[in-house]
Amino acid sequence: MLAAVVHLEGTSVTVHLTPMEGEGSEELAGVTDPKEPGPIIPELKELAWGAGSFIVFALLMRFFLYPRLKKGMDARYHGIRSAHESADAERAAARAEVAEYEAQLAAIKAEAARKVDDARATLEAERAAAMADVNAEVSAQRSAAMAEAEAAKAAVRDQIAAAVGDVAGRAGELATGRRPSDDVVTRVVQEVMAR
Amino acid sequence: MIAEAFKFPLINSILRWKDLFTSFNKVALIAVAAAVIGTVVFLLAGSKDANTAPKGVRNLAESSVEFIENGIVMQTMGKDGLGWTPFLLSLFIFIYLCNAPGIIPVIYMPATARMAIPMFLALLVWVVYMGVGFKHQGIKYLTHTIWPPGVPVALKPLVGLIELVSNYIVRPFSLTVRLFANMLAGHILLVVFALLTQSLITAETMQALLKPMMVLPLFMLIFLTAFEVLVAFLQAYIFTILTAVYIGSSAHPEH
Repeated sequence: MLAAVVHLEGTSVTVHLTPMEGEGSEELAGVTDPKEPGPIIPELKELAWGAGSFIVFALLMRFFLYPRLKKGMDARYHGIRSAHESADAERAAARAEVAEYEAQLAAIKAEAARKVDDARATLEAERAAAMADVNAEVSAQRSAAMAEAEAAKAAVRDQIAAAVGDVAGRAGELATGRRPSDDVVTRVVQEVMAR
Repeated sequence: MIAEAFKFPLINSILRWKDLFTSFNKVALIAVAAAVIGTVVFLLAGSKDANTAPKGVRNLAESSVEFIENGIVMQTMGKDGLGWTPFLLSLFIFIYLCNAPGIIPVIYMPATARMAIPMFLALLVWVVYMGVGFKHQGIKYLTHTIWPPGVPVALKPLVGLIELVSNYIVRPFSLTVRLFANMLAGHILLVVFALLTQSLITAETMQALLKPMMVLPLFMLIFLTAFEVLVAFLQAYIFTILTAVYIGSSAHPEH
């Protein structure tokens, strides 16, 4: 055993390591026989116990412990993998159903739009036909009214022409003592009224 | 003034242990406990319902299986190497459980800080990857290990010598020493800082000066203990991944 001898002189400290004999040199771990082999020489009993322990442990691990644990791990992994796969399949099926539903919805919407368009076209055609009928009737009534008005106007004009011709003939008779021809009077009146 | 401050124990006194009973010491106890704990954990895990989400001990066991499969086997050997998962899993768990007692109070001794277990595991790995090489490549494995495919003829003597030493000597030696030396160094560091802390507390002179200084090695001890948690895992991982690499390269020489 070595001893550290510390010298304190004033402010300086010196340490010397010296071999030490006597009491207190064997108290640490039990064995301090200097005749024993060096510390790096393997001891046979340690080798035997270490080798035996490891070989037994490795064999147990190889043939019993590891296969048992691994079997459980593999079963669980397989279960998890199966659950993942079935979940994926269900997800795919659900997505297919959603796609089918969306396709059906689109078809129904298209059908509804087509029907609305057809109905709108039908209504438009009916409205146009009704409008044409109404316009034709209005036009006919207007034509009839205009013809009637023209006829009334012509009759009034004839009455006026006759009255004016009668007045003009009487005036000519009073002026000249001779009654002018009705044809001449009528022609003159009509020329004047036509201006 | 002279003060005896710190006693360094002989290295054997912190590494060699008295027999608990005939030929069974603390290191043997840790090795057996590692195998028993690993077995019990996987037995308990296997007894739990596998169809529900794993929790507790089953979660721990399944996480370690997935770590070995995805983090080591698939990265180094590919899908063909999944058959090696039980062996690599055993290796990782056993080494980790042998490392971890280095920071467990009362025990404070990693079994891998002794040469025996790392040496046995490295030799076992050597036998396994040599066996895999012969199984997959037949007798050509010998020439493939010495002269990897594609080596120019002129370089064959040099490469052959390097590969011979590398594959047959350096690989098992480095596997052994890497694990053993790392765990031994960590163990010695913990002992040194623990003893230093104790020495500063129990110093008979200059207590007013030394007792506050006790905090420094104590903090270092706490830091190193946390660091050893990482080292215990890391060394188990490194040993296991190198084993997977060696087995993978024996099975597929083109890699």
